[in-house]
Amino acid sequence: MLHEDKVLTKQEQRAIVKRLLKYAGVHKRLLAFACTFLVIGVGAELLSPYLVKIFIDSYVTPGVFPADELTWLAAIFAAATVLSAVMVYFHTYWFQRIALKSIQQIRVDVFSSVEGASMRFYDQTPSGALVSRITNDTERIRELYMEVLSTFIQNGVFLVGVLIAMFFLDVRLAAAAILIMPLLLMLMMLYRRYSARYYGEMSGKLSRLNTKINESLQGMSVIQLFRQESRMKQEFSGINDAHYEAGLKSMKIDGLLLRPAIDLVSVLALVGVLSYFGILSMEGAVQVGVIYAFVNYFERFFEPVNEIMQQMSLYQQSIVSAGRVFHLMDVTGQESAVVRGRQTGQASESGEIEFDHVTFSYDGEHPVLRDINLSVKEGETIAIVGHTGSGKSSIINLLLRFYEHDAGTIFLGGKDLQRWPEEALRRHVGLVLQDPFLFTGTVRENIAMHNHGLSDEEVRQAAAFVGADQFIEALPDQYDEQVGERGSSFSNGEKQLITFARTVAHDPKVLVLDEATANIDSESEAVIQQALANLVENRTTIMIAHRLSTIRHADQIIVLHQGEIAERGTHRELLASGGLYEKMYRLQHENEEVL
Amino acid sequence: MRAFWDLRWFFWQERFKYSFGILLLIIVALLSLLPPYVVGVVVDAIEQNRLTTGMLAGWMGAMIAAGICMYVLRYIWRIMIFGSSLHLGRTLRYNLYQHFTRMSSDFFGRKRTGDLMAHATNDITAVQMMAGQGVLTIVDSLVMGGFVVLAMAVGISWQLTLITLLPMPLMALLTSWYGHLLHQRFGAAQQSFSQLNNRTQESISGVKVTKTFGYEQEDIEAFDAQSRDVVNKNERVARIDALFDPTITLIIGVCYLLAIGFGAGYVNDGSITIGQLTTFSVYLGMLIWPMLAFGWFFNIIERGHASYDRIRDLMAERTDITDQKAGVEDVPAGAVQIDIDEFYYPRSETKALHDIHASVQPGQTIGIVGRTGSGKTTLLRLLLRELKSGDGAITIGGTPAEAYYLDTYRLAFGNVPQEHFLFSMTLADNIAFSNPEATQQDIQRAAGLAAIHDDIVALPYGYATAVGERGVTLSGGQKQRISIARALLQNPEILILDDALSAVDANTEQQILEALKRERRGKTTFIVTHRMSTVKEADAVWVMAHGTIVENGSHRALMEAKGIYAEMVKREELKAQVERGNR
Repeated sequence: MLHEDKVLTKQEQRAIVKRLLKYAGVHKRLLAFACTFLVIGVGAELLSPYLVKIFIDSYVTPGVFPADELTWLAAIFAAATVLSAVMVYFHTYWFQRIALKSIQQIRVDVFSSVEGASMRFYDQTPSGALVSRITNDTERIRELYMEVLSTFIQNGVFLVGVLIAMFFLDVRLAAAAILIMPLLLMLMMLYRRYSARYYGEMSGKLSRLNTKINESLQGMSVIQLFRQESRMKQEFSGINDAHYEAGLKSMKIDGLLLRPAIDLVSVLALVGVLSYFGILSMEGAVQVGVIYAFVNYFERFFEPVNEIMQQMSLYQQSIVSAGRVFHLMDVTGQESAVVRGRQTGQASESGEIEFDHVTFSYDGEHPVLRDINLSVKEGETIAIVGHTGSGKSSIINLLLRFYEHDAGTIFLGGKDLQRWPEEALRRHVGLVLQDPFLFTGTVRENIAMHNHGLSDEEVRQAAAFVGADQFIEALPDQYDEQVGERGSSFSNGEKQLITFARTVAHDPKVLVLDEATANIDSESEAVIQQALANLVENRTTIMIAHRLSTIRHADQIIVLHQGEIAERGTHRELLASGGLYEKMYRLQHENEEVL
Repeated sequence: MRAFWDLRWFFWQERFKYSFGILLLIIVALLSLLPPYVVGVVVDAIEQNRLTTGMLAGWMGAMIAAGICMYVLRYIWRIMIFGSSLHLGRTLRYNLYQHFTRMSSDFFGRKRTGDLMAHATNDITAVQMMAGQGVLTIVDSLVMGGFVVLAMAVGISWQLTLITLLPMPLMALLTSWYGHLLHQRFGAAQQSFSQLNNRTQESISGVKVTKTFGYEQEDIEAFDAQSRDVVNKNERVARIDALFDPTITLIIGVCYLLAIGFGAGYVNDGSITIGQLTTFSVYLGMLIWPMLAFGWFFNIIERGHASYDRIRDLMAERTDITDQKAGVEDVPAGAVQIDIDEFYYPRSETKALHDIHASVQPGQTIGIVGRTGSGKTTLLRLLLRELKSGDGAITIGGTPAEAYYLDTYRLAFGNVPQEHFLFSMTLADNIAFSNPEATQQDIQRAAGLAAIHDDIVALPYGYATAVGERGVTLSGGQKQRISIARALLQNPEILILDDALSAVDANTEQQILEALKRERRGKTTFIVTHRMSTVKEADAVWVMAHGTIVENGSHRALMEAKGIYAEMVKREELKAQVERGNR
């Protein structure tokens, strides 16, 4: 779902930039302030060479130094410098701030969009790729905003400012200066064209190089056992050399077209200015101050050009990242719209469950559940068993509406599941997973989750109800104990007890246990069993269990085989019938004795 | 500076390029003094009305020549200095890679692939930066800065220079202070970002829980809060970062004010000309870069130094599996004798294997069964010399395993490891991994024996189909069979299948086992498996538990003994019945 590593067309690039600018455009006021300050700052900065020009022409050349006027001039110079410094500070800061705020909005948008996607999307998309889109790629966009876009804007304005100042000084020379623009533009276009090609080549070579190192590191034992070290070294050397050559090439392009070239143009421009004034002076008087100011302006003219050009290759890379983020946003956005569109109906208070001729497949071709009929009365416990691939987990996926079935109807509390409002459904059905998942935070936060209405006492009661209070209260910080990385400091049994308490605290009418006791060590088994017994009381429960000893007391046991119900009955009935269940039971019991 | 000293071997090796590059940098610095000087000369000539066409043309010609010279020289020193630094990167990367190929499994067990990757990429880039940008910044700040100050002081007026440069140290002081603050705040921002990263990771991993409770909105709000924290921390960075330019503007402004103010006085009393004052002000602007470069230099060196130390530590690692001085050059053949009294993994206190005494005649097939962690793979890795066994614990054809040269020793073995690993090459290249010169016929034969030929032919590009990220997705069973074909291609004296048939269905497995029996007459085969039916026809089955062989015998003998093996077989039959749905 996330393959989009293709080359972006010009139109796509433009669309992406447009979308990026839209995010920045939200901050109109700040943007207006930043731009105003930018213009004032540039004006103030460009004022000082002009003041020096006045000083030289009106006072130094004639050799008169009236103290009053000069103090004024110095004061204005100082004021302009300070003003420009203050303006520069604020507009730099504000542009960064706009960038940061825009990127934050993009992050929240893409995160919300992903969070709203269906479980089908999550089952099909590697989580590493998603995380990388939401954090790393957006970080790349941040660079695009902060380095590229703001460089373009700030330096663009500065360039215009310099040109205006030149026109103010000498129209003819300024007009001549504009003639440099096509030359610079040509240089830019040339650089853009070649740098895109060579940087593309370079990053391609780099990724080949990294792939090779990574693959060799992972497969080193195979390489060594088959004695292919020297061949691999040779291959690596080839890629390494190609990478080096590509690096050399892009370095040469930078050297030919970047700073050295701009410096050459600036020397030529200086030659132009001096020649112009030199020739002019032979015909009539020239004010020396004007020369000073022009030289000074030209000096400032080329730095922005340099900066803009240096950001060009960065621009290409970050626009690709931006494209990936927007693509993810669009893909997941469409998905969640489909899911949300259909939930208009009423909830129910009852915990009854009924599957009426339900058929389901993940791919639309191979059914994993075929014509399933089952009904669970309020407060009953039903257990579903079967070996891997029999369709047990699919029943849960359907009941929790993570996936939608193809045929038949599922009733929850007598109402069609598809018409349950989302929020009511989530409150009504609780799920405990095989691998207890703990979030970063305290034990209390893990039990209460985002339910802030829950008092400390209620959290404690929930823990006590499942017998988790004993070990929690033995912790140094008790309920405020920080859960380490994914709860690594707790045993699996303890983690599962916390998730039990979490479920109790949310008090669902229907409880679904997805192999909730599968990974429990034998020491905590007894505690877990007791907790489970408390949990199940007064709730309609669906249990999927691998360990058959845990479901002995279920009101009903269903044996699934290849998506169909093969047997059903109570533990005793099924054992007596000598069928599949009986074999499974025997297998497990003897299992424990061997070895 | 010690960082440069550590790299002296490289600078010495590239001494001509560096000397030449630095020489060019010095020439460029000298040449760049010319344009401002010419500006002064021309301004004076205009002011005193003595400018002639010839004079103007002469100076302009000189300037153009200098400009072109600088362009060419700047281009060349980049090739000399930056080119050498790229060369350093290439050399270090190759050395590191070569070093990796020499390291044993112990090394790769201790280091994480991600860390090794970081050394081979980020650390090398940092060292490369040091040899390129690092050299440039220090040379440029010293040479350029020195020349400009010299030109100002000697060429124009040392008094004016002194007065004007008075605020400059303040700039160095302030920027280094900002750098310090920036470093701290940037660290905080990085940390906040990595928290955001972890949060996102957690949200995605725990999405099922969140969705079950219907807490998506709350989770989004929590994400929003964390991402706001990232913004706040970054704004703190931006507040410092935005100080650099205004500070430079202010201080340079003061310098200008001093230069122009006092300069005007000197012009008035005739000690300098108006043209010289103009030149002076241009020189002033040229001092900004060397000042910044100097600060930059220390950053580059600091990072490069740390990186180079890490690379050197890595390169200093020695492998624990080495050749003896006067080794046996033969390819091992003959009976395998194993006498392991005890074996510990390096740096481990728990006994991995103990009291294993067994022998294998050439041509025998040995099945090895036992629970996960019973020591099956460890035993095979000792046999393969991936791990270092005690002296003479394993002998082949009467010669201790360590006595063979590692390279020829491994020629005798074909191994199919538990974790199948395919390279991102074509299927044909993967199968012919041990021998790139293998003919298509050899490859197809090996594929046929491993029962993968038909699968491969059915693929769109057949044997030319690429494997890996951008290639075709193969099932676990297909990957296993390709690994088997890879091992069979070299027709090894000893073949090891370490649980290599786990993802292959029973019929295909039988097919492969029959092919092995037929083709590998007279050659030794070890098969580790969890499936009892696989080893039914083996000459001997070793049942392993807790690091030793607890039962050893043929299928029939072990069945009669009614021990662990017999129990395992019985259980498997029951399991098969369940899987068939009691039919």
